[in-house]
Amino acid sequence: MTSTEASQAAAGFAEQDRTVHETRVRVLSAGAGHPVLYLHDSGDLGQWAPWLSGLAGRYAVWRPDHPGFNASADGAGVDSVHELAFFYLDLMDELGLGRVILAGAGLGGWLAADLATIEPQRVSKLILAGARGIRTDEHIPDIFLLSPAELAVLTYHTDEARSAAREQAEQLADDPGRFERYLRNRSATAHLGWNPYLHDPKLPRRLHRVTAPALILWGAQDRLLPVRHARRWAELLPRTQVAVIRDAGHLPLAEQPGASLQAILAFCGED
Amino acid sequence: MQFFGFHLMPYPYLTEKHRRDGDSSWITLSNQNFDPRRGHELYQRYLNELVLYDQVGFDGVCVNEHHQTAYGLMPAPDVVAGVLIPQTRGKIAVLGNAISLRDHPLRVAEEIAMLDVISGGRVISGFVRGIGAEYQTFQLDPTQSRSRFHEAHDLIVEAWTRPGPFEWYGRHFKLRYVNPWPRPLQQPHPPIWSPSQGSAETVDWAARHRYTYLQTYSDIGTLRRAFSEYREAAERHGNPAAPDQLGWAAPVYLADTDEQARREAAPHLDFLFNTLLRMPRDMFFPPGYLTMASAPRVLGAKRGLGEGRNDLAELIERGYALVGSPATIRQQLEQYASELGFGTFCGICQFGSLGHEEFERSVRLFADGVMPALRPAGDGRT
Repeated sequence: MTSTEASQAAAGFAEQDRTVHETRVRVLSAGAGHPVLYLHDSGDLGQWAPWLSGLAGRYAVWRPDHPGFNASADGAGVDSVHELAFFYLDLMDELGLGRVILAGAGLGGWLAADLATIEPQRVSKLILAGARGIRTDEHIPDIFLLSPAELAVLTYHTDEARSAAREQAEQLADDPGRFERYLRNRSATAHLGWNPYLHDPKLPRRLHRVTAPALILWGAQDRLLPVRHARRWAELLPRTQVAVIRDAGHLPLAEQPGASLQAILAFCGED
Repeated sequence: MQFFGFHLMPYPYLTEKHRRDGDSSWITLSNQNFDPRRGHELYQRYLNELVLYDQVGFDGVCVNEHHQTAYGLMPAPDVVAGVLIPQTRGKIAVLGNAISLRDHPLRVAEEIAMLDVISGGRVISGFVRGIGAEYQTFQLDPTQSRSRFHEAHDLIVEAWTRPGPFEWYGRHFKLRYVNPWPRPLQQPHPPIWSPSQGSAETVDWAARHRYTYLQTYSDIGTLRRAFSEYREAAERHGNPAAPDQLGWAAPVYLADTDEQARREAAPHLDFLFNTLLRMPRDMFFPPGYLTMASAPRVLGAKRGLGEGRNDLAELIERGYALVGSPATIRQQLEQYASELGFGTFCGICQFGSLGHEEFERSVRLFADGVMPALRPAGDGRT
């Protein structure tokens, strides 16, 4: 066992490479039970988040790196979130995941919602956290014009989370591997969501197809994508409940993992 | 040496507050800062200045394309080129059309061909990707910038040279009919120039196609590296480079003495480098605009050209701008030309907030006191 594998085992997750359409994808997984597929946000640098371990206490949790992000290979030919959703349906086949609890944050939330419109029967529950993908009239910041430090400050709400994130962002270029992941992820995000800016105007017309109950999880103080977007998702999806997490910005799962996990477990426990 | 006069058409009337605190003169600087009446006067003056280059003996004039900025008022360089045709005799270089940004490259093929036919074959066609900020301007995916550039270039050159109609099924453009009228007058097509800040990919591409490579806004060290990379690439591709294929574009200002030139140029160079070119790094280089081979180095650098304040003496010292008496500039250009082997020079004699009288005096000093010494003997040109 290598030291990396040992630390993964201690954290309780496994790592594997799977290949779909000649594109290698790195998949992290943990736990047993009904499968949860988690689709990460654009700023995720490939870590196994502690709240996923909490979820793995009850479910089999799968967390891939999107093609073009982190340790996955570039996604040849995937040039939109809608295309990426088809790729993920094939990855679900490859992993033997028939019907899943589908969760996604930010860009991953958009992807989850899109996938659920294509094959609704494969999604038993849908969880969208600060999901991109729809547009309201409210003006939102352009993340592509922000430096890493500016983005960190706008992403988080609490002073501790914000200053920790800013400090990490200011040191980003000092760690070549991490910096390269950041740049590559940002480029992959731009390729998927540059125009129209991080949303798909056709998605609202398809959302009625989603059959699974949906939890819309949102940070009360989200400044990148204000909470009004949560209400818009709730209007567009057929069966929704909204959980607004206090003292959280754009990433409630990272900033308030306890409260977020509690909301998710409560939602998943319902019939 | 062949000489071109470059004009950026800057908008000089920005507030003191913006000069002091503004973080960018691109895309986010409101167009309410542009006064159309003053704009009208500026265009008249700037067009006259371009014509002056032609009158005093420059081989050609250069216009360029930039968008949503006070840096330059030429979003449509082909329009400016069209206005200049009846007023000039020399070359008109469009440096260049940002072909990656165009919805349709065939529009560029058509416009350049029109300019070429109308002018009697005096047009030079520069092709560029557009700077990073311009991918915000048109909400164009910057990760596709290079592949759009290459396909647009290939399509335009084929449209100029291959008998139409023909079909085109590329990655970005799919056309049942490629058959533009008119065709260019110059055969097989107008000369193509490649202005760049020195990316290895662009240098190699220009050398492979035998296009004139024009280095802009660079210190002498970068100039030396880019030119030697071009020559090596040209050898490798089997097309040894002629001096004319290597060009340098730099701000130039002349007065009777070095001291006077530096004193008079200072506020305008300051305005160019510290206000008009100022831009946050993430605006300058949007995601995917640079290759992963160069992005970490450029974006991880402590400071870029558009950030902080550039020291003017240092800019002049490093060769970003040529400022001095005719004797000084002549001696510098002679030295750089023999050392670096370039045969094309584009003087940006109008920059920042430089006034018309200073511009005209400087241009005449350059034309009378610098250009003749660098022309080949018996060349016949002034």
